[in-house]
Amino acid sequence: MRKYYEMMKSQMKIETAYVAWFWAGTFATVVKILILYYFWTAVYENRSSIAEMPLETMLTYAVIAALLGNFHFAGPGNQLAEQIQSGGVAVELLRPYDLINRLVWQSWGGFGMSLVRDMLPMLAVGWIFLGIQFPATGTGAVLFILSTLIGLFLAMYIDLILGVLAFWTVNIFGLRTLKNAILLFFTGSMVPVTMFPGWLQTLSQYMPFQSIVYVPVSIYTGTLAGLDALSAMLVQILWLALMWAVVRVIWSLAVRKVTVFGG
Amino acid sequence: MIRYSQLYWQFFKKHLKVMMEYRLDFFIGVMSVVLIQFTSIFFVKVVFDQIEDLNGWGFYEVLFIYGVATMGRSIHHIFFDNLWTIGWQYIRPGNFDRLLIRPINPLFHLIADRVQQDGFGQLVIGGLLMAAAMPHLGVEWGPVNLLILLVLIVSSGAIFVAVNLFFATLSFWIVDSLPITFAAFNLSDFARYPLNIYHKGIRWLLTWLIPYGFTAFYPAAAFIEHSGYRELGMITPLIAVISCWLAYRFWKVGLRAFNSTGS
Repeated sequence: MRKYYEMMKSQMKIETAYVAWFWAGTFATVVKILILYYFWTAVYENRSSIAEMPLETMLTYAVIAALLGNFHFAGPGNQLAEQIQSGGVAVELLRPYDLINRLVWQSWGGFGMSLVRDMLPMLAVGWIFLGIQFPATGTGAVLFILSTLIGLFLAMYIDLILGVLAFWTVNIFGLRTLKNAILLFFTGSMVPVTMFPGWLQTLSQYMPFQSIVYVPVSIYTGTLAGLDALSAMLVQILWLALMWAVVRVIWSLAVRKVTVFGG
Repeated sequence: MIRYSQLYWQFFKKHLKVMMEYRLDFFIGVMSVVLIQFTSIFFVKVVFDQIEDLNGWGFYEVLFIYGVATMGRSIHHIFFDNLWTIGWQYIRPGNFDRLLIRPINPLFHLIADRVQQDGFGQLVIGGLLMAAAMPHLGVEWGPVNLLILLVLIVSSGAIFVAVNLFFATLSFWIVDSLPITFAAFNLSDFARYPLNIYHKGIRWLLTWLIPYGFTAFYPAAAFIEHSGYRELGMITPLIAVISCWLAYRFWKVGLRAFNSTGS
């Protein structure tokens, strides 16, 4: 009997490990949000608005942008790079589905789960305890959801470009970190793009990154509304189409390369 | 003591050889850390472009806190990084038993088993931050002050090590305490900003329970005339000694309670 008892105990330890990671992640997010809250409250101590945003709007922006930003560090590109480096991609190519589409839809699955498990509870906490605002208007709420989805698609395809590069370079780790640093800043997950110095704002306008976080969150806070919001979303869609095309082109080039080397 | 330092030197030489063998990886690792750190500094810069002070703390003073935090972390990161891996690399696969039969202190062996090269990136950026901030603090940087600064930075590193050692020790009972260690480590992010922006409870927690406040804010405040925490800053070395002693006692208790996973 004793050995079965030990087996039961070991399974319990395995389950605890998953639960522990969940709570550790939640705890980390809470700490991050608390720091944002106190930091911005202190920043606004002697002033009522910064870059034309009052404290409530800034807090709302900071918390929602930080929550959205959480998703951009684990994308489908990572899995693709792993498949390429382990050689598993050769088998994947034989299977009756498109590998890129498979990875993208798996990422959506992951996103759906973490939306329910991490993001909504955190939002509820923010709404109740930190004075986070609701979307300015009903239309704003709908546009925010659409814009967030487009932004996530865009982030996935940018990630996939890096993933495909693993066909040519062995050391994908450095590229990923570079990408993460760029994303962290230029998407606007730390501060709204409107707070950047002028030249950086201009630069940012010609890059796809602000479409990932800044645009959806600004629609949420109401900074982007009406025609501005719609045109920003049009830009999002154009970037998405472009990145989609880039991924398709380099992917087909890469697949040809695999065939040349005989798998 | 002499024997241990000679031993550490032998271990260190071995790690150095590995690093030089993979120069590109070393370089990429260092660069990636520098980049990630750089984004958060840029964040502070962008915010301070809009405001003059944060609760009475100027830009260079906040930069100085960041610098102390980064230097302290780098000590911990370069030399004591292996504490993170005790659960999944030593205890779970049964590797810890190997350390126990060696004729040296198992904790020493664990620590000497790894030198984390990425930490050198933190050291570089910490140094740059300090160099940028120090001339603007209105402090005469004579030899005495520099010596005090050095002692405080080493103490900051020691506190990081002590807290991690404490939580890593839990692995002796639950196989892998990594999620708990990770969650606790997140608290250190609080200390990168002046602690007086936070709620009393948080400040108390970071001062007397998990003394991360002494890894950055208090030691930096020791040099700043108007901080009001000069005395508290000066007891940083004392806090470091006490935390290390407590953590080591706890480690001893854990070691005695340890049963191998037996694989």
